[in-house]
Amino acid sequence: MTNDLIQLVDIALKDGPISVRAAGRLMSLMEDQPWRLPELFHAWAAVRQGREDELSEQIPMPRLFLGITGAPGSGKSTMTDALVGEYREKHPDKKVGVIAVDPSSPFTGGSVLGDRVRMMRHATDSNVFIRSLSARGHLGGLTLGVKGVARVMGLIGCDVVIIETVGVGQSEVEVTQVADLVTVVLAPGQGDSIQMLKAGLMEIADLYVINKMDREGSAQLHTQLLSSLNLSFDKKEVTDVQLVSATDKTNIDQLVDLLDKRTSEQSSDWPALREKRMYADVSESVLDQARMLLAGELRTNPDLTKQIIEGTVTVHDVAQVLLEKACDSTQEV
Amino acid sequence: MSDSTATGAKVRVLIGKPGLDGHDRGAKYVAHILRDAGFEVIYTGIRRTPEQIVDAAIQEDVKMIGLSLLSGAHNTLFKRVLDLLKEKGAEDIIVFGGGTIPPDDVPGLEAMGIKAVFGPGTPAKEIVDTLNSCLA
Ligand code: B12
Ligand SMILES: Nc1nc2c(ncn2[C@@H]2O[C@H](COP(=O)(O)OP(=O)(O)OP(=O)(O)O)[C@@H](O)[C@H]2O)c(=O)[nH]1
Ligand SMILES: [Mg+2]
Repeated sequence: MTNDLIQLVDIALKDGPISVRAAGRLMSLMEDQPWRLPELFHAWAAVRQGREDELSEQIPMPRLFLGITGAPGSGKSTMTDALVGEYREKHPDKKVGVIAVDPSSPFTGGSVLGDRVRMMRHATDSNVFIRSLSARGHLGGLTLGVKGVARVMGLIGCDVVIIETVGVGQSEVEVTQVADLVTVVLAPGQGDSIQMLKAGLMEIADLYVINKMDREGSAQLHTQLLSSLNLSFDKKEVTDVQLVSATDKTNIDQLVDLLDKRTSEQSSDWPALREKRMYADVSESVLDQARMLLAGELRTNPDLTKQIIEGTVTVHDVAQVLLEKACDSTQEV
Repeated sequence: MSDSTATGAKVRVLIGKPGLDGHDRGAKYVAHILRDAGFEVIYTGIRRTPEQIVDAAIQEDVKMIGLSLLSGAHNTLFKRVLDLLKEKGAEDIIVFGGGTIPPDDVPGLEAMGIKAVFGPGTPAKEIVDTLNSCLA
């Protein structure tokens, strides 16, 4: 399989199994080299030139980026599996994407990505694309490659993209930066009304799911959560609470209806929000590339800083050189 | 090493157990040692069909698939995985296997395209070293 971005986009937008391979490879490129995200837009434009009647002007966007977060073992993956099943039943001709992030070892950098184990029944459904990602040392609940992988999911036509974070503590709330709606999954046995009071995780939910309602303690947790939500005085939006059992598939249909309802109510606000994020992502990628270029220059020419201090070279000179190099490297792409 | 590029990208490996075999200690053990060797291991659980394993491997864009089997059905199931990979344009994914596989069956498996086979008692280091040498 090629590693050429334009060719990959072209193949990913064709039919047959090879398109899946290309989409998978595109996701790897976005994961390994997150700063190349802007090239995806260029590749789309280039591919579209020959296929205008077939392809929209802009990269297609999912109807919903759904974030799912919560403590380790609360049932995020099992619930994602159940949601995918329910979505596929409710919208049979729509494609669903899943991005599932698991932690990496701080010692070896390795990881076991086990979220997919819970979702294997969808493996041969050609309308479900599941991608596991390692956090690769990134703190915050996600990983740097998530944004690019999410774009590729949109590009291949996913209607909904579910983003499962690593099992989080109380302060990893990065998912709010990529998701339109955030679901916080809680399960009985992981704290009481004091945990509900704490800042961070408990503030970011658009929607709470209390999972494992088949277990003892879930009703009590539900009551505690409701009374805790009643205490907030300046909540801008409603926060829904849904009791489910992901393993028994209880109330999953209600959860999907709720998500669809929230999406249609709120989605008019999302294009502006998404555009803002897209601009931020692109400028971040550009800065990353500049930073890498400068680091490379300093590696090959360690005297540079010294020369600047001595006054023999100006920052302007350095910028000029870097700019020329940047132009060269874009021509290679 | 398991760093495939200068950018710190990692080698992704999928561990799968095809067929009706519930012996998962070996598969989990291998997942664990590969994790400790710096690989990104996608574990898919027990009792999977070759179709599920291959489709997952393609979506995950892994470099390698490791099949673990202690049921005795390796000749047919490993072959099926290789055939499906070819069918789907992914025959460049390296496939290796392990479990209770009689030594007599190993040459046949290697001839059909299984890169290496690891039987009971294989030391962790041997597995990791062989995988790394496949990448070189
Ligand atoms: C423990 C065990 C069980 C446990 C399994 C627990 C579990 N969750 O895994 C229990 C008691 C449940 C069990 C049940 C059965 N078992 Co049993 N079991 C064993 C036993 C004694 C050890 C297996 C083991 O865990 N080894 C430890 C692990 C770490 O070793 P390993 O899996 O071989 O892995 C090593 C290598 O093979 C290699 N490797 C393995 N996979 C992979 C994959 C990759 C990618 C790589 C690189 C390397 C690699 O690396 C590992 C490290 O060296 C074996 C006998 C034996 N000596 O192997 C029989 C054995 C596998 N069982 C056997 C049988 C028949 C059964 C039953 C059908 C018995 C019955 N009639 O009910 C059931 C079926 C279970 C099922 N659902 O499939 C037979 C299989 C015969 C065959 N192949 O034709 C064996 C060989 C015993 C025998 N001599 O008859 N079993
Ligand atoms: N009783 C019960 N168990 C559940 C339910 N949902 C999930 N579980 C179990 O909880 C355990 C963890 O489930 P996962 O879906 O892997 O949890 P997770 O939140 O994705 O875990 P991490 O990704 O590791 O943070 C598994 O054993 C599931 O079977 C449920 O509704 N009821
Ligand atoms: Mg999970």
